Amino acid sequence: MDISIQFKKGALEICVLVLIHEKDRYGYELAQSVSEHIEVAEGALYPLLRRLVNEGHCTTYLQESSEGPPRKYYKLTPQGEIHMKKLVIEWKRFVSNVSNLIERGNHL
Amino acid sequence: MNKSEFISLLSNHLSALPPEERNELMEDYEAHFAFGLQNGKTEEEIVRELGDPAELAQEALGNRSVPLNPLYWFGEQPQGQTSTAPPETSDIPYRKAASAIYAGLFFLNLVMLPLLAVIWAFGLALVLAAVSGMISPVFLVLEYVFNGPFLPAKAFAALTMVGIGIFLAMGSRRAFSGIIKLSASYWAWNVRVAKGVKINE
Repeated sequence: MDISIQFKKGALEICVLVLIHEKDRYGYELAQSVSEHIEVAEGALYPLLRRLVNEGHCTTYLQESSEGPPRKYYKLTPQGEIHMKKLVIEWKRFVSNVSNLIERGNHL
Repeated sequence: MNKSEFISLLSNHLSALPPEERNELMEDYEAHFAFGLQNGKTEEEIVRELGDPAELAQEALGNRSVPLNPLYWFGEQPQGQTSTAPPETSDIPYRKAASAIYAGLFFLNLVMLPLLAVIWAFGLALVLAAVSGMISPVFLVLEYVFNGPFLPAKAFAALTMVGIGIFLAMGSRRAFSGIIKLSASYWAWNVRVAKGVKINE
Protein backbone atom coordinates (compact mmCIF):
# COMPACT_ATOMS: atom_id res chain seq x y z
CA MET A 1 0.00 0.00 0.00
CA ASP A 2 2.76 2.38 1.03
CA ILE A 3 4.80 1.42 -1.98
CA SER A 4 1.89 2.12 -4.24
CA ILE A 5 1.62 5.61 -2.74
CA GLN A 6 5.27 6.23 -3.59
CA PHE A 7 4.66 5.05 -7.15
CA LYS A 8 1.78 7.41 -7.54
CA LYS A 9 3.71 10.35 -6.16
CA GLY A 10 6.42 9.75 -8.69
CA ALA A 11 3.90 9.46 -11.48
CA LEU A 12 1.87 12.47 -10.41
CA GLU A 13 4.32 14.98 -11.81
CA ILE A 14 4.29 13.32 -15.24
CA CYS A 15 0.50 13.11 -15.24
CA VAL A 16 0.19 16.76 -14.36
CA LEU A 17 2.73 17.87 -16.95
CA VAL A 18 1.05 15.82 -19.67
CA LEU A 19 -2.39 17.13 -18.72
CA ILE A 20 -1.21 20.73 -18.78
CA HIS A 21 0.53 20.06 -22.07
CA GLU A 22 -2.79 18.96 -23.60
CA LYS A 23 -4.34 22.29 -22.68
CA ASP A 24 -4.09 24.92 -19.97
CA ARG A 25 -5.95 23.75 -16.90
CA TYR A 26 -6.85 25.07 -13.47
CA GLY A 27 -6.20 23.29 -10.18
CA TYR A 28 -9.56 21.71 -9.57
CA GLU A 29 -9.84 20.55 -13.17
CA LEU A 30 -6.41 18.96 -12.90
CA ALA A 31 -7.43 17.19 -9.71
CA GLN A 32 -10.50 15.78 -11.45
CA SER A 33 -8.57 14.68 -14.53
CA VAL A 34 -5.83 13.01 -12.49
CA SER A 35 -8.39 11.22 -10.32
CA GLU A 36 -9.97 9.79 -13.43
CA HIS A 37 -6.80 7.84 -14.09
CA ILE A 38 -5.07 7.25 -10.78
CA GLU A 39 -6.34 7.29 -7.23
CA VAL A 40 -4.24 9.86 -5.44
CA ALA A 41 -4.58 12.40 -2.62
CA GLU A 42 -5.75 15.38 -4.66
CA GLY A 43 -4.33 17.81 -2.12
CA ALA A 44 -0.81 16.79 -3.12
CA LEU A 45 -1.36 18.57 -6.44
CA TYR A 46 -1.06 22.06 -5.05
CA PRO A 47 2.40 21.76 -3.50
CA LEU A 48 3.49 20.03 -6.71
CA LEU A 49 2.06 22.78 -8.93
CA ARG A 50 3.77 25.36 -6.75
CA ARG A 51 7.08 23.60 -7.23
CA LEU A 52 6.58 23.35 -11.00
CA VAL A 53 5.95 27.09 -11.12
CA ASN A 54 8.97 27.84 -8.94
CA GLU A 55 11.17 25.72 -11.17
CA GLY A 56 9.94 27.51 -14.24
CA HIS A 57 8.15 24.55 -15.81
CA CYS A 58 4.77 26.30 -15.61
CA THR A 59 3.33 29.75 -15.48
CA THR A 60 -0.04 30.75 -14.13
CA TYR A 61 -2.71 33.22 -15.12
CA LEU A 62 -6.06 34.06 -13.58
CA GLN A 63 -9.32 33.90 -15.46
CA GLU A 64 -12.62 35.11 -14.08
CA SER A 65 -15.48 32.67 -14.33
CA SER A 66 -19.16 33.50 -14.31
CA GLU A 67 -19.65 31.35 -11.24
CA GLY A 68 -17.32 30.69 -8.36
CA PRO A 69 -13.89 32.16 -7.66
CA PRO A 70 -11.47 33.13 -10.47
CA ARG A 71 -9.64 30.17 -11.90
CA LYS A 72 -5.87 29.95 -11.71
CA TYR A 73 -4.78 28.35 -14.97
CA TYR A 74 -1.47 26.59 -15.36
CA LYS A 75 0.41 26.81 -18.65
CA LEU A 76 3.44 24.78 -19.66
CA THR A 77 6.58 26.78 -20.54
CA PRO A 78 8.94 25.63 -23.30
CA GLN A 79 11.33 24.55 -20.58
CA GLY A 80 8.49 22.62 -18.95
CA GLU A 81 7.75 20.87 -22.21
CA ILE A 82 11.34 19.70 -22.48
CA HIS A 83 11.19 18.55 -18.87
CA MET A 84 7.98 16.64 -19.59
CA LYS A 85 9.41 14.89 -22.63
CA LYS A 86 12.47 13.89 -20.68
CA LEU A 87 10.37 12.51 -17.88
CA VAL A 88 8.13 10.58 -20.27
CA ILE A 89 11.12 8.98 -21.99
CA GLU A 90 12.65 8.05 -18.65
CA TRP A 91 9.33 6.72 -17.46
CA LYS A 92 8.87 4.49 -20.50
CA ARG A 93 12.36 3.13 -20.27
CA PHE A 94 11.96 2.46 -16.58
CA VAL A 95 8.59 0.78 -16.93
CA SER A 96 9.78 -1.45 -19.77
CA ASN A 97 12.90 -2.41 -17.82
CA VAL A 98 10.88 -3.36 -14.79
CA SER A 99 8.35 -5.27 -16.90
CA ASN A 100 11.17 -7.18 -18.59
CA LEU A 101 12.56 -8.09 -15.22
CA ILE A 102 9.20 -9.27 -13.98
CA GLU A 103 8.64 -11.25 -17.17
CA ARG A 104 12.00 -12.95 -16.78
CA GLY A 105 11.06 -13.85 -13.22
CA ASN A 106 7.89 -15.49 -14.50
CA HIS A 107 9.82 -17.78 -16.85
CA LEU A 108 12.06 -19.13 -14.15
CA MET B 1 -13.70 16.40 9.16
CA ASN B 2 -15.25 19.43 7.53
CA LYS B 3 -13.74 22.26 5.54
CA SER B 4 -12.84 24.60 8.38
CA GLU B 5 -11.23 21.80 10.37
CA PHE B 6 -9.20 20.78 7.34
CA ILE B 7 -8.15 24.33 6.58
CA SER B 8 -7.10 25.14 10.12
CA LEU B 9 -5.23 21.86 10.53
CA LEU B 10 -3.38 22.36 7.28
CA SER B 11 -2.64 25.97 8.07
CA ASN B 12 -1.21 24.92 11.44
CA HIS B 13 1.01 22.33 9.85
CA LEU B 14 2.22 24.88 7.34
CA SER B 15 3.16 27.46 9.96
CA ALA B 16 6.85 27.02 9.13
CA LEU B 17 6.31 28.33 5.59
CA PRO B 18 6.78 32.03 4.87
CA PRO B 19 3.38 33.68 5.33
CA GLU B 20 2.88 34.83 1.75
CA GLU B 21 3.67 31.37 0.42
CA ARG B 22 1.38 29.74 2.94
CA ASN B 23 -1.43 32.15 2.12
CA GLU B 24 -1.14 31.39 -1.58
CA LEU B 25 -1.26 27.67 -0.92
CA MET B 26 -4.22 28.08 1.42
CA GLU B 27 -6.00 30.08 -1.28
CA ASP B 28 -5.48 27.18 -3.68
CA TYR B 29 -7.18 24.84 -1.22
CA GLU B 30 -9.98 27.34 -0.54
CA ALA B 31 -10.61 27.59 -4.28
CA HIS B 32 -10.58 23.80 -4.53
CA PHE B 33 -13.34 23.66 -1.92
CA ALA B 34 -15.32 26.33 -3.74
CA PHE B 35 -15.16 24.43 -7.04
CA GLY B 36 -15.95 21.13 -5.36
CA LEU B 37 -18.99 22.52 -3.56
CA GLN B 38 -20.13 24.10 -6.81
CA ASN B 39 -19.96 20.65 -8.39
CA GLY B 40 -22.32 19.33 -5.76
CA LYS B 41 -19.86 17.60 -3.49
CA THR B 42 -20.06 17.81 0.29
CA GLU B 43 -17.23 19.28 2.35
CA GLU B 44 -16.52 15.85 3.82
CA GLU B 45 -16.18 14.29 0.37
CA ILE B 46 -13.77 16.98 -0.74
CA VAL B 47 -11.71 16.60 2.43
CA ARG B 48 -11.52 12.85 1.85
CA GLU B 49 -10.34 13.34 -1.72
CA LEU B 50 -7.75 15.91 -0.70
CA GLY B 51 -6.07 13.57 1.77
CA ASP B 52 -4.45 13.90 5.16
CA PRO B 53 -3.52 17.52 6.00
CA ALA B 54 -0.38 16.46 7.87
CA GLU B 55 0.88 14.52 4.87
CA LEU B 56 0.03 17.33 2.47
CA ALA B 57 1.91 19.77 4.67
CA GLN B 58 4.85 17.38 4.70
CA GLU B 59 4.73 17.48 0.92
CA ALA B 60 4.68 21.26 0.82
CA LEU B 61 7.43 21.63 3.40
CA GLY B 62 9.46 18.81 1.90
CA ASN B 63 9.41 20.51 -1.46
CA ARG B 64 10.79 23.52 0.24
CA SER B 65 13.67 21.93 2.06
CA VAL B 66 14.83 20.01 -1.03
CA PRO B 67 13.38 22.07 -3.85
CA LEU B 68 16.37 21.88 -6.16
CA ASN B 69 16.80 18.17 -6.64
CA PRO B 70 13.38 16.56 -6.74
CA LEU B 71 13.82 12.91 -5.90
CA TYR B 72 12.63 10.59 -8.62
CA TRP B 73 12.13 7.00 -7.79
CA PHE B 74 12.91 6.09 -11.37
CA GLY B 75 15.66 7.04 -13.78
CA GLU B 76 18.81 8.95 -12.92
CA GLN B 77 18.88 12.17 -11.06
CA PRO B 78 18.40 14.96 -13.56
CA GLN B 79 21.87 16.43 -13.72
CA GLY B 80 22.84 20.01 -14.35
CA GLN B 81 19.21 20.98 -14.26
CA THR B 82 18.43 24.62 -14.32
CA SER B 83 18.94 25.01 -10.63
CA THR B 84 18.86 28.68 -9.88
CA ALA B 85 20.78 28.49 -6.61
CA PRO B 86 23.21 26.08 -4.98
CA PRO B 87 21.64 23.88 -2.30
CA GLU B 88 23.60 25.48 0.54
CA THR B 89 21.69 28.69 0.24
CA SER B 90 18.31 27.04 0.13
CA ASP B 91 17.83 26.94 3.89
CA ILE B 92 18.84 30.51 4.54
CA PRO B 93 15.33 31.92 4.13
CA TYR B 94 14.38 29.24 6.60
CA ARG B 95 16.81 30.39 9.23
CA LYS B 96 15.59 33.90 8.68
CA ALA B 97 12.02 32.76 9.15
CA ALA B 98 13.03 30.85 12.27
CA SER B 99 14.72 33.81 13.91
CA ALA B 100 11.80 36.01 12.90
CA ILE B 101 9.45 33.60 14.62
CA TYR B 102 11.55 33.53 17.79
CA ALA B 103 11.73 37.31 17.82
CA GLY B 104 7.99 37.48 17.22
CA LEU B 105 7.33 35.13 20.12
CA PHE B 106 9.59 37.20 22.35
CA PHE B 107 7.76 40.43 21.67
CA LEU B 108 4.39 38.75 21.84
CA ASN B 109 5.27 37.38 25.26
CA LEU B 110 6.47 40.80 26.32
CA VAL B 111 2.84 41.83 25.99
CA MET B 112 1.06 38.57 26.69
CA LEU B 113 2.78 37.60 29.95
CA PRO B 114 1.84 40.82 31.79
CA LEU B 115 -1.65 40.48 30.36
CA LEU B 116 -1.88 36.94 31.72
CA ALA B 117 -0.57 38.21 35.06
CA VAL B 118 -3.36 40.81 35.11
CA ILE B 119 -5.94 38.12 34.37
CA TRP B 120 -4.55 35.97 37.19
CA ALA B 121 -4.63 38.95 39.55
CA PHE B 122 -8.24 39.53 38.60
CA GLY B 123 -9.07 35.91 39.44
CA LEU B 124 -7.26 36.19 42.75
CA ALA B 125 -9.18 39.37 43.58
CA LEU B 126 -12.42 37.56 42.83
CA VAL B 127 -11.49 34.78 45.25
CA LEU B 128 -10.53 37.25 47.97
CA ALA B 129 -13.80 39.12 47.53
CA ALA B 130 -15.72 35.85 47.79
CA VAL B 131 -13.88 34.76 50.92
CA SER B 132 -14.23 38.10 52.68
CA GLY B 133 -17.94 38.19 51.79
CA MET B 134 -18.51 34.76 53.26
CA ILE B 135 -16.69 35.45 56.50
CA SER B 136 -18.31 38.86 57.00
CA PRO B 137 -20.42 37.53 59.97
CA VAL B 138 -17.15 36.87 61.77
CA PHE B 139 -16.20 40.48 61.27
CA LEU B 140 -19.64 41.50 62.48
CA VAL B 141 -19.06 39.58 65.75
CA LEU B 142 -15.60 41.08 66.11
CA GLU B 143 -17.01 44.53 65.57
CA TYR B 144 -19.68 43.87 68.21
CA VAL B 145 -17.04 42.71 70.68
CA PHE B 146 -14.77 45.68 70.16
CA ASN B 147 -17.10 48.54 69.25
CA GLY B 148 -20.22 47.77 71.25
CA PRO B 149 -23.60 48.67 69.79
CA PHE B 150 -25.31 46.10 67.58
CA LEU B 151 -27.54 47.28 64.76
CA PRO B 152 -29.90 44.85 62.95
CA ALA B 153 -29.09 46.62 59.70
CA LYS B 154 -25.49 45.46 60.03
CA ALA B 155 -26.64 41.88 60.52
CA PHE B 156 -28.71 42.08 57.33
CA ALA B 157 -25.80 43.63 55.51
CA ALA B 158 -23.56 40.77 56.64
CA LEU B 159 -26.15 38.25 55.51
CA THR B 160 -26.28 39.89 52.09
CA MET B 161 -22.49 39.83 51.93
CA VAL B 162 -22.51 36.09 52.63
CA GLY B 163 -24.93 35.57 49.75
CA ILE B 164 -22.84 37.68 47.41
CA GLY B 165 -19.73 35.85 48.63
CA ILE B 166 -21.24 32.48 47.75
CA PHE B 167 -22.15 33.69 44.29
CA LEU B 168 -18.68 35.12 43.79
CA ALA B 169 -17.15 31.83 44.96
CA MET B 170 -19.14 29.94 42.34
CA GLY B 171 -18.14 32.48 39.73
CA SER B 172 -14.49 32.43 40.70
CA ARG B 173 -14.32 28.67 40.40
CA ARG B 174 -15.40 28.95 36.81
CA ALA B 175 -13.17 31.92 36.19
CA PHE B 176 -10.20 30.03 37.56
CA SER B 177 -10.68 26.95 35.46
CA GLY B 178 -11.01 29.27 32.47
CA ILE B 179 -7.84 31.15 33.38
CA ILE B 180 -5.90 27.92 33.87
CA LYS B 181 -7.11 26.57 30.55
CA LEU B 182 -6.21 29.81 28.82
CA SER B 183 -2.71 29.86 30.31
CA ALA B 184 -2.13 26.21 29.49
CA SER B 185 -3.23 26.55 25.88
CA TYR B 186 -1.20 29.72 25.43
CA TRP B 187 1.84 27.88 26.76
CA ALA B 188 1.15 24.91 24.49
CA TRP B 189 0.82 27.21 21.51
CA ASN B 190 4.17 28.82 22.32
CA VAL B 191 5.84 25.44 22.50
CA ARG B 192 4.23 24.33 19.28
CA VAL B 193 5.33 27.40 17.35
CA ALA B 194 8.88 27.18 18.68
CA LYS B 195 9.12 23.45 18.02
CA GLY B 196 7.64 23.71 14.57
CA VAL B 197 10.57 25.91 13.71
CA LYS B 198 13.11 23.52 15.19
CA ILE B 199 11.89 20.51 13.27
CA ASN B 200 12.46 22.18 9.94
CA GLU B 201 15.68 23.92 10.69
